[in-house]
Amino acid sequence: MPLGFRLYAAVGALAGAVIALQIAVMRVFAVGSWSHFGSLVVSLAMLGFGMASVFIFLGKSWLDRHSKGTATLALFLVGPLAVGANLAAQMVPFNAIFLISDPTQKWRLLANFLLYLLPFLSGAFFLGIVFRQGKEHFNRLYFADLLGSGLAGLAILGALYVLPPEKLLVAPLILWGVSLVLWERRWIASVCFAALVTAAYLVLPAILGVPSITVSSYKGVSYARNFPDAKRLYRDISPFGDLQVYSSSYMHFAPGLSDNAAFNVPELPANTYVGMYIDGEGPSGIMRALPPEDAAYYQYLPMYYPYVVKPNAKTFVVQFGGGLSVMTALNAGASSVTIAEANPAVLRAFHAPELADVTGHILANPKVKVVGYDGRLYLAHTDERYDVIDLSLADSVGLSNPGGFAIAEKYAYTEQALLAYIQGLNDGGVLSMTLWNKEEPPKSVLRFYATVAKAAQTAGGDWAKSLFVSESYLSTTTILYKKGGFTEAEVATLRQHTADLSFDEVYSAGYVFDPTMAKGILGQYRASIFGDGTEAASLAGDGPAIGPPTVDSATAPSDGTHVATTADAPSDAPSDAPPDDGATAVPSTTLARMIWQGFVQDADVAGQYVFDVHPLTDDKPYLAGYIRPSDLTKTLDRLDTVQDDWGYLLLWATLGIACLAAMVLILPPMIFGGSMGASIGGAGKAAIILYFGCLGLGYITVEVGLISWFARALTNPTISASIVISGMLVFSGIGSWVAEKITKATWVLPALMAGIAMWLGAMTYVLPGLLEAIGAYSYLIRLICCLAMVAPVAFLMGFPMATAMTWLASRGQEQMFVWAWGINGSFSVIGAAAVPLIAVSFGLSAVLGVAAVGYLLAMLAFLAMVRRVR
Amino acid sequence: MNRRSFLAGTAFGVIAAGQATFAQAAVPEPYDWTAMPPMDDRQAFIDYMVQHRGEDPTFLGQRFDIFLNTVQHKDLWDDKDKRAFLMTPREEFVLKRNLDRAYASDFLDIGFGVTISGPRLVARMSSSLNVVKGDKVLEIGSGSGYQSAYLSHLTDQVYTIEIVQPLFERTGGIYADLIARGYSEFTAVNRKNDDGYYGWAENAPFDKIVVTCGIDHVPPPLLEQLKPDGIMVIPVGPPGAQHVLKVTKTLNADGKFTVARSDIYRGSIVNFVPFTKLQDGKIVGNHNG
Repeated sequence: MPLGFRLYAAVGALAGAVIALQIAVMRVFAVGSWSHFGSLVVSLAMLGFGMASVFIFLGKSWLDRHSKGTATLALFLVGPLAVGANLAAQMVPFNAIFLISDPTQKWRLLANFLLYLLPFLSGAFFLGIVFRQGKEHFNRLYFADLLGSGLAGLAILGALYVLPPEKLLVAPLILWGVSLVLWERRWIASVCFAALVTAAYLVLPAILGVPSITVSSYKGVSYARNFPDAKRLYRDISPFGDLQVYSSSYMHFAPGLSDNAAFNVPELPANTYVGMYIDGEGPSGIMRALPPEDAAYYQYLPMYYPYVVKPNAKTFVVQFGGGLSVMTALNAGASSVTIAEANPAVLRAFHAPELADVTGHILANPKVKVVGYDGRLYLAHTDERYDVIDLSLADSVGLSNPGGFAIAEKYAYTEQALLAYIQGLNDGGVLSMTLWNKEEPPKSVLRFYATVAKAAQTAGGDWAKSLFVSESYLSTTTILYKKGGFTEAEVATLRQHTADLSFDEVYSAGYVFDPTMAKGILGQYRASIFGDGTEAASLAGDGPAIGPPTVDSATAPSDGTHVATTADAPSDAPSDAPPDDGATAVPSTTLARMIWQGFVQDADVAGQYVFDVHPLTDDKPYLAGYIRPSDLTKTLDRLDTVQDDWGYLLLWATLGIACLAAMVLILPPMIFGGSMGASIGGAGKAAIILYFGCLGLGYITVEVGLISWFARALTNPTISASIVISGMLVFSGIGSWVAEKITKATWVLPALMAGIAMWLGAMTYVLPGLLEAIGAYSYLIRLICCLAMVAPVAFLMGFPMATAMTWLASRGQEQMFVWAWGINGSFSVIGAAAVPLIAVSFGLSAVLGVAAVGYLLAMLAFLAMVRRVR
Repeated sequence: MNRRSFLAGTAFGVIAAGQATFAQAAVPEPYDWTAMPPMDDRQAFIDYMVQHRGEDPTFLGQRFDIFLNTVQHKDLWDDKDKRAFLMTPREEFVLKRNLDRAYASDFLDIGFGVTISGPRLVARMSSSLNVVKGDKVLEIGSGSGYQSAYLSHLTDQVYTIEIVQPLFERTGGIYADLIARGYSEFTAVNRKNDDGYYGWAENAPFDKIVVTCGIDHVPPPLLEQLKPDGIMVIPVGPPGAQHVLKVTKTLNADGKFTVARSDIYRGSIVNFVPFTKLQDGKIVGNHNG
């Protein structure tokens, strides 16, 4: 075994390779299928650390005699196993949408998990043996481990700019090669071996006829590639994703286009659009400039709504996307259009010469001004005020691709975000929000309605007069908020426009809602999901107590009513009767109308709905977790009815598997307790489990929690993850390095852990304000600020693990050493799965709170350990 | 390997996988529009179909079971649609690897990012169209060919367009084989490989249109090619969570057209509960759990 710097560098490089491999594998999943399955596979693969510790524990006598050879073998195998596992995984792709219906899919998922487990297991085996052999200097090895991981996190961020996803494994392979060279004296042989493995990674797919990444045929980009005349015009790789633009005459985009356009707008010329895909998801339509005779097309798009009452507007577009909102604004006569786009890759694409023909140099239009970062952050800190602020289909809210129902923070849609938009309005300005409305029963739309209502209330004034809501069934919904309230004439104009588009008015100040129409609808929706299939879905009598709305006669239309195009059929139509030929009622629209009346009348209608549709806040910015916890078990026999919450349910499954696996990994050393040393009784072992478990749980909880928090200021989850992971690991590494110098006295560590808990507790109160405040600064300053926020607590969090491990070694508890390390790793996996669940259910503040409690428990466990382990 | 040759290779593999291996008997009798298989007795249905259509008794049994379920769920309510359901050999249109699930309630993969919808959805969509003999029906997205085969039992004028060429060719092979075996009703299916967005202007207008591919708006050319008082149905959402949008086009007294969106359930809440298991005509559980 090498000594000194070479040993530490080898450990650091391999630890870095493991982190880089995690990120690379997640990218492979993001591009080939769906990223959250990558997170699942990788987080479970990290159980390899727990598994390795058990193997090492059980075979410690043999391993002590053969440590060098075994560690070398494990290290050598990491690269070939990574390459082999990745290649084999491409041959057994699984498809999330068939997980329930196709029995083979779960085995494919298991195969992916087992395959990717192998390189992590091998890497963990190497690290475990080295830690065991070098236990006297654990804190230095641990420092090397964390520093290597942290720096590799930054390195892979850079690698994402130069290596496309199908070649990204080169990054971990290089780090592995470096580790090999440092570890093995025959460095030429090591270099040759690493080069051979890397070359195999690059050429084997072509030789074997296996795709470098098997892209699911259900990804958006796969459909584009199937078009006979498809042509890739552009590709840009960066941490912001693999952005590709395809052209084809078969592409047609018009999100939410009114059906009436068919009779009023000439057919658009062929090849009007190209499709933009990020990580194969999409497309976002990029539209060529239309000839003047086709300009009427824009009037039939839902994003045209605000311009009906705000001509010549000074407009702000919160998210540029494919540019359709900007084209609409310009064609609606906007005097200027300021756009925000947080993804620099998208802006690069629109500046690219290859796409100049299709983008029509829209960014060079003198009326267009570009803000190169997040629209919400910009509006919160600018003195500029706008007549129209547009948030249109900026995100696939509630309309994910099959299997792609990931849980992600939607900071553009929270109550606080809406308040920032409202703040950015001139007096009389209009905030226009258009979202997909393609769920039945509706979920995300209702959650967003609740958010808008809450924000409007918070903004003050006669908020009920400030809103106009219209839907197109199974298409889009548009919510308009006017600062100062709509006039009667404006409501009439909007109502006429709604009729012209054949959309359905859902709410306005003068809208007359007939509560008898919604009788029993909440019970019917519940029965439709959780019934046994025998109920006629015509339960009655459980409607909320909503009285007739108070109609302001001054604002009511002249005839006192508005006749919608749909949803006006009697509510007692037999539910199971065959449909007739006429236009019929649409329950989701009726439900939406009733829920809006509930907001206005302060009746908790939404609370009685079968799904949880609470408002989005910065603390709970999720369009996920619609199933109420009390209903979770009831979904088990009807998973296909809640497919859009699979991402959430998958987290519960991951947590269950992680807990089970952790128990399995912890048990063997307990069963073979006789060999663990007579000095440790049951209480001592329990204290050790609690201590190292809480550390693992606490550390990962802070890490994953802060990634979500910082995504708000950094506006990109990949950058946020890289900064938080790298920052925490590097500063924790430094903490572990200095730990041995200042934690000789046993009271120091408990005091430090109490300090960590207090710091984390304080962060829950301070972070929202800090993140809001730094939003005004440049990206670099924001990055530095985020690092500065992480550094102190990460530094302190480096102490407990290193100190306790060194302490165990110093008490002659070598046999406990690797076991404790494995417990730590296993609980990290549990924590990683638990964080999103805690965040969705209790909020992001609660995540840091849980971490704080974890460190307090660890403190108590440490005191118990000191007493019990002599 | 270049992408085109890879696609071609994939297509060949899928074509090979698509060929069923069970005995493929010829249809013993010419197609009869008035023929009505028994609908109230499983064995009588099987016997009838074996005798008149020469089909596999195992699949026939499965078809009858799912038929009862579909009727129970009110996804079929009309004798002509029930007949079409019972007369269409779904097993011919699924991939070989999915043959044992041909009559499960689930949608199934057929390659190219395309699925064959579950029988319940196909029945509900087709019933909602209320196709009568002589109607000119356009289908956008032929896919497996099952939907147009089903429609060919309702009318003798079915037009279907598929955008993915290898899938178009594979389905063409399946049709050619079935027609050669005596399924003469499938000659009513007119097919072309093209972009369905623009409809089939040469054969327009259509009485009914069924769109089975995802798009973010209803294609205006299709609305134009729909006859006044015509009906269009479109499943919306990802496979497995699809909801059917019904669009009707009406000519007003002022000469203008009105388009109305509605659901196909007459304003009642769609029953999403899992497909139920029947035993002796009673619900005893579901197929999920």
